[in-house]
Amino acid sequence: MPGLGTSFGRGGATVWLPDLENADCILIQGSNFAEAHPVAFRFVMKAKERGAVIIHVDPRFTRTSAVADLYAPIRSGTDIAFLGGIINFVLQNERYFREYVAAYTNAATIVGENFVDTEDLDGMFSGWNDETKSYDTSNWNFERNDDGTLRRDETLQHPRCVLNVLRRHFARYTPEMVERVCGTPQKEFLKIAELLARNSGSERTTAFAYAVGWTQHTTGVQFVRTAAILQLLLGNIGRPGGGIMALRGHANIQGATDVPTLYDLLPGYLPMPSALRDEGSLERYLARNTKATGWWANMPKYIISLLKAFYGDAATAENDFCYGYLPQLIGDHSVLPTTFAMKDGTVKGYFVIGQNPGASGQNAELVSSAMERLDWLVNIDFFDNETVSFWHREGADPTKIGTEVFFLPGATVLEKEGTMTQTSRVLQWHDKAIEPIGDSKSDLWYFYDLGKRLKALYADSQDPKDRPILDLAWEYDHEDERERAAGEPSALRVLRELNGFTVADGKQVAGFADLAADGSTACGCWIYSGVCPDETTNHARGRIADARSSPGWGWAWPANRRTLYNRASADPAGNPWSERKKYVWWDAQKREWTGYDVPDFPKAKDPATPARPGASGIDAHSGADPFIMNLDGRGQLFVAGALADAPMPAHYEPLQSVIENPLYAQQSNPLLREWKRDDNRYNRSVDPDYPYVLTTYRITEMSGIMTRYIPWLAELQPEAFCEIDPELAVEKGIANGSHVTISTALGEMEARALVSGRMQPLRIGKGQRVHQIGIPYNYGRMVGFARGDSPGDLIALSMDPNVSIHEAKSLTCSIRPGRRAARSAGSIEAPVPTEQQRAYGAGSAHGIDAGERR
Amino acid sequence: MKSYYDRPLLKGPHWGANVVTYLFLGGIMGGLGLISLLSDDRPEPAMKKLRKATRYTAFALAAINPPILISHLGRPERFLNMLRIVKFKSPMSLGVWGLVLYSGAAGANALRELADDGIVPSALRYVAPSATVPIQALLGAFMAGYTGVLISATAIPLWGTGKRHIPAFSVCSGAASASALATLLSTLQGNHEVIPRLERLEMAASALEIVTIADFRKRGGRATAPLFEGRVGKRLRDYTILGGIVVPFVLNAVGGAVRLPKSIDALRSIAASMLTLIGGYVLRESLIEAGKLSANDPQAAFRQPS
Amino acid sequence: MATGFFTDATLCIGCKACEVACKQWNELPSDGFEFTGNSYDNTSQLSGTTWRHVDFVERESFDESGLKTSWSMVSDVCKHCTNAGCLEACPTGAIVRNEFGSVFVQPDICNGCGYCVVSCPFGVIDLIEAVGRGDDAKKYGLATLHDDRLNDRKTAVQATGGVAGKCSLCFDRQRVGMVPACAKACPTESIQFGEIEELHERAKRRVETLQERGVEARLYGADDIGGGIGALNAFFLLTESPEAYNLPVEPVLPSTRQTMGYAAAAAAALTLATIGWAIFRGDS
Ligand SMILES: Nc1nc2c(c(=O)[nH]1)N[C@H]1C(S)=C(S)[C@@H](COP(=O)(O)OP(=O)(O)OC[C@H]3O[C@@H](n4cnc5c(=O)[nH]c(N)nc54)[C@H](O)[C@@H]3O)O[C@H]1N2
Ligand SMILES: Nc1nc2c(c(=O)[nH]1)N[C@H]1C(S)=C(S)[C@@H](COP(=O)(O)OP(=O)(O)OC[C@H]3O[C@@H](n4cnc5c(=O)[nH]c(N)nc54)[C@H](O)[C@@H]3O)O[C@H]1N2
Ligand code: SF4
Ligand code: SF4
Ligand code: SF4
Ligand code: SF4
Ligand code: SF4
Ligand SMILES: [Mo]
Repeated sequence: MPGLGTSFGRGGATVWLPDLENADCILIQGSNFAEAHPVAFRFVMKAKERGAVIIHVDPRFTRTSAVADLYAPIRSGTDIAFLGGIINFVLQNERYFREYVAAYTNAATIVGENFVDTEDLDGMFSGWNDETKSYDTSNWNFERNDDGTLRRDETLQHPRCVLNVLRRHFARYTPEMVERVCGTPQKEFLKIAELLARNSGSERTTAFAYAVGWTQHTTGVQFVRTAAILQLLLGNIGRPGGGIMALRGHANIQGATDVPTLYDLLPGYLPMPSALRDEGSLERYLARNTKATGWWANMPKYIISLLKAFYGDAATAENDFCYGYLPQLIGDHSVLPTTFAMKDGTVKGYFVIGQNPGASGQNAELVSSAMERLDWLVNIDFFDNETVSFWHREGADPTKIGTEVFFLPGATVLEKEGTMTQTSRVLQWHDKAIEPIGDSKSDLWYFYDLGKRLKALYADSQDPKDRPILDLAWEYDHEDERERAAGEPSALRVLRELNGFTVADGKQVAGFADLAADGSTACGCWIYSGVCPDETTNHARGRIADARSSPGWGWAWPANRRTLYNRASADPAGNPWSERKKYVWWDAQKREWTGYDVPDFPKAKDPATPARPGASGIDAHSGADPFIMNLDGRGQLFVAGALADAPMPAHYEPLQSVIENPLYAQQSNPLLREWKRDDNRYNRSVDPDYPYVLTTYRITEMSGIMTRYIPWLAELQPEAFCEIDPELAVEKGIANGSHVTISTALGEMEARALVSGRMQPLRIGKGQRVHQIGIPYNYGRMVGFARGDSPGDLIALSMDPNVSIHEAKSLTCSIRPGRRAARSAGSIEAPVPTEQQRAYGAGSAHGIDAGERR
Repeated sequence: MKSYYDRPLLKGPHWGANVVTYLFLGGIMGGLGLISLLSDDRPEPAMKKLRKATRYTAFALAAINPPILISHLGRPERFLNMLRIVKFKSPMSLGVWGLVLYSGAAGANALRELADDGIVPSALRYVAPSATVPIQALLGAFMAGYTGVLISATAIPLWGTGKRHIPAFSVCSGAASASALATLLSTLQGNHEVIPRLERLEMAASALEIVTIADFRKRGGRATAPLFEGRVGKRLRDYTILGGIVVPFVLNAVGGAVRLPKSIDALRSIAASMLTLIGGYVLRESLIEAGKLSANDPQAAFRQPS
Repeated sequence: MATGFFTDATLCIGCKACEVACKQWNELPSDGFEFTGNSYDNTSQLSGTTWRHVDFVERESFDESGLKTSWSMVSDVCKHCTNAGCLEACPTGAIVRNEFGSVFVQPDICNGCGYCVVSCPFGVIDLIEAVGRGDDAKKYGLATLHDDRLNDRKTAVQATGGVAGKCSLCFDRQRVGMVPACAKACPTESIQFGEIEELHERAKRRVETLQERGVEARLYGADDIGGGIGALNAFFLLTESPEAYNLPVEPVLPSTRQTMGYAAAAAAALTLATIGWAIFRGDS
């Protein structure tokens, strides 16, 4: 989550769920909170009970809207314009939290002279290189004093200080413009802007909640950035009932980024070494990634401890702690490019674990046809699913598919132990409740066993290239004899390794402060350090709740802090901003930080401590700099260089849009990634053949395979459906409950029509009436009691430039009454792409290209 | 006020032909009890013959009604569950006990007739006191009446609205059907002498029945519509009102007024009886079917008359 | 000391956790897989095998500020009436009032006569058709296609077959001090379980708070609902009229109709007996 990471320092929700209860106002945008996170939503309801205003901004009126105090419609994909409008409102009317902004953000920092804004370049920032199709982000750097420190104008008068740059940048995001772009009526918009402003400041706080309604866009990271800027301006970060609640997905999605399944990260958000960045040796890696100031000055301790955890005794100072064993990136190996590589024959094997891309993936047919070209596919699951059964999907010809498929029985969560890291960064341990059925095994078992087999296989090898396998520290045998006999590894041992230990005596370290860069400590994930601080404690087991921040309930990284950057809940002098919003403060008597939470600040650092420019790490920061991870200890309103596409968000239309960008000549994100090929056809924008906005989402009752197989859930939403507004239904002759076919240049899907006044056409652009169509993505054709097509058949793969996420939330489509044609066996020939054609395939000749500039 | 997606508010009866038959026979048993009483202790052989016919038939019906009920319940032992308790608030409970007691009384009376006919030892005749005759008649009245109360003391708008009418015309219909059945039996037995009286009784019962039904219909409104309109209403009109009441009434009136040749008169009386019986059955059937429709009408269920 | 439910529509987010938790705890089968097109409601009603059911009422209206959309949800359940039509009607005594004041069906005593079904003024209780193994089980989604364990499993419902079914107010859970499954699962405390008296208190306070905030809130069934039924042990806070959720406004307790029925029957019988006497014995 670099939107949050680049703004505040850490890529995680800044608050923890129960704290939402303390908010005076909650803006839910980009999430269907009540439906996708019903249990967490209890805290929103509690806030509402206590008088908080709940606002929901969404293309659809959902169950969240139903209980919100205020709902405003928005055209999918236009949240930067909406939030930018509020930023403009806040700046124009001087409604920002001045003291907070001045002290805790980089508002006063001066932007360099080379920076030229979108306002002057009609949608582009300075530094664009048309050849490489990328920005030279050094154009966005800050100005520095002679001593190398950042130049600031504390009076906030300098025309190039960040606050004034922001002012100019967002000046054209007026309420009229918001209405033109988003379709949100000005009145509603202004009501929301006023509510946010009124519920911020020293006495009150506003919290934001978002999820994938904001991320699955080619501009997703910038959506989050816009929210971060706004929350910094309103002074809501680090304070109780404030912050940005990034709602994560499946139970352990947060955990899966902390100890990542992402190709470009190592555990604890350490970058994966990259050949493209010249990180061939540990020295060069450290030189690039260790920051002089801020928390990342500690980088060497973390990476070296990680290498010690990976390679144990084999990792020594002499051999760079086996740094060379780590793979190095040579490109984008994220899932979408890899899918194409499979299709094109470069990738030969595929492990699919805990995922069902054959139904939930975008361009599911591409995914399936890519699997046809594999040598082997391994799937660990407890249900038959559209992925492992791709070879007999509708229209496929099994006789022509040579992929060898291994379907391994997985154990469910009840049948295994371990932790999950939930959406507010809290690790929660769960025990094994029952034995797995039959041959089912935990995922851990499979990985452990695979590792042991590989080690056995290479045991006699003298080849240096096999050393990484042989040197791997791989001892996780279970403490319990019966489990050990079954080959089951101990999840607790894994967790204890993630926590870290002293190499010499094998004793657990108490926290990441104890980690060292000399190889004397090992730690599998530095941010988890402290979860098992001694030989007998497992904080993830904790289930003690209290009225405030419940430090006894599970364990939150880092260091069990519930609200991040909570130093900001006190004023620069260390006193609470107000009695009402008291949270963490400086106890002048005891000379330490104290409060309801674990202070996210050096415990004894006096608020009056001046900055020490020459010092390293957070010693360079003053006692009033709450964003300790950041170089300058401040929240970043303007991000210099860390994101590829913009230092400040600018509204671009989605890759496939129904209108021309009303704000700039630049239609879409200039850095978005497309694959224009026959098996991945896009709709062109403003194409009369595809006049409707399409968005996709999940519903409470369904969550893919696991729910489709459960009769109790399947009966609640038994079939794929699509939501359309009554006006469109009449225009198209679609009866409620009848079958309709939705199509894009890529393909067709059918669904039952749910005609509802909850969907309403919007007036956008120059008075154009736009219909939005919504489709839940949780269905699949092949298995389960609840069935139906998935919008994966409609959505061509595209990618945002920062996190390689697909755009699944804002698309275009057409719709007609009636069912789609059946795909007869063998009707789908996987086209073998001879060259990557720059062609729109079946798309029409109308419309405009995403990259186009007018 | 709109209802919830036009969905039914109430659940309709899960009752089919077996329950209809059960209710229908219950009514007849009631009527037979009356005829048995009316023909009791009369010296005329014709009356004696009628008496015997009604008592044997009543007992036979009392014996087959439980199996019919069981066919609805599914398993024989389930009938016994009804005998765990007596519940005055439940017409179904009282009804079953009514049936049991009626069977006892009818059995006693049948036993006396069997003894009288020498089929069983004549000493057995003293096992059953003669008081069982009025008792059977009283229980019979209850039997005929409770089938109506059972239906009307429910939450179904049509039925509840008919809380007076339905029990009343159930009794009448039971009496008419019993008279018709007795007429039929007498015709077959060649016991012609009793037929005019039976037919008069039937006419009286039918008359009262049609008046009650007409009055029920007059109440009109949404609640009674399912019984009198549409498919069910048409069937009720054709088979019960016209075929089951008006036509037999006319035939009976003709039989009473004009002297017809014997064979024709027998045909007339058989036809009238059959039609009455069919009408009686269809009346019960229509009530149940209309009850299902009524349950599907949320508007009628939102506000119910007490 | 009676226990019951206070179900608050203003707190319901329509997640249906209550519906599912109830089915899971009571091992009830699904009611089939039919898409209705009626908002997000595809189970449609309470049934013999759906003991909690969430209603979804969508409304659109226009006022000076433009279009107003509302989507109101509430979880319906057996009302556990003070005077319960089903209980009174039951000829076997299968339906009893238990020590928690709830109306409870004993499936081993029920004989499937179906009289309770037509005697519930709220359309709650219904017969569960016999659900067997094999095809039937599949039809009702009792078994997955691959798991033989599930094929062999006999749920409580399957084992009895053809009995009346409705909310038990989780008698089995209450007896061991547990909160009913539906209330336990409800994430927003829209379903509150507790002692009736206390729930009444809470409900009144809640209505006051809501009315202060300008929300049109009313209680349904907290006080005597009329028609002889009395108050409901499961009562509701609604923002729409009861009809919108198919709740009756003036329900009537069926047994109150009995006396008049017997009287009418007696009158008819007496009339006919008199006429009959005249016809048969008039000459004697
Ligand atoms: N029941 C259930 N719960 C789930 C899941 C599930 O499958 N089923 N999945 C889990 C997972 S993996 C995830 S990631 C989370 C996702 O949680 P959410 O992001 O809350 O869920 P979605 O339904 O994908 O999308 C949220 C909302 O975004 C809206 N939306 C679409 N485009 C835009 C836009 O451009 N702007 C704005 N403002 N809104 C937009 C949609 O209309 C939708 O209402 O949910 C988790 N929870
Ligand atoms: N159009 C559109 N597409 C989307 C989205 C969208 O909003 N719109 N959302 C996207 C998002 S955010 C997500 S997260 C994905 C979700 O997409 P998927 O992750 O593909 O979703 P699921 O169907 O939940 O698949 C999970 C699989 O894991 C299995 N499983 C569960 N637990 C375990 C376990 O412990 N071990 C193993 N081995 N297997 C297990 C389940 O049986 C199931 O088959 O979908 C994405 N796709
Ligand atoms: S499914 Fe699990 S994670 Fe999702 S809302 Fe329910 S309890 Fe929470
Ligand atoms: S609501 Fe119906 S089923 Fe429930 S107790 Fe009352 S009468 Fe019985
Ligand atoms: S169906 Fe069962 S519970 Fe209902 S009235 Fe009959 S015996 Fe009683
Ligand atoms: S109380 Fe128990 S039986 Fe009744 S609805 Fe709730 S979970 Fe179901
Ligand atoms: S569980 Fe609670 S919030 Fe969810 S539908 Fe049921 S009553 Fe409503
Ligand atoms: Mo997700």
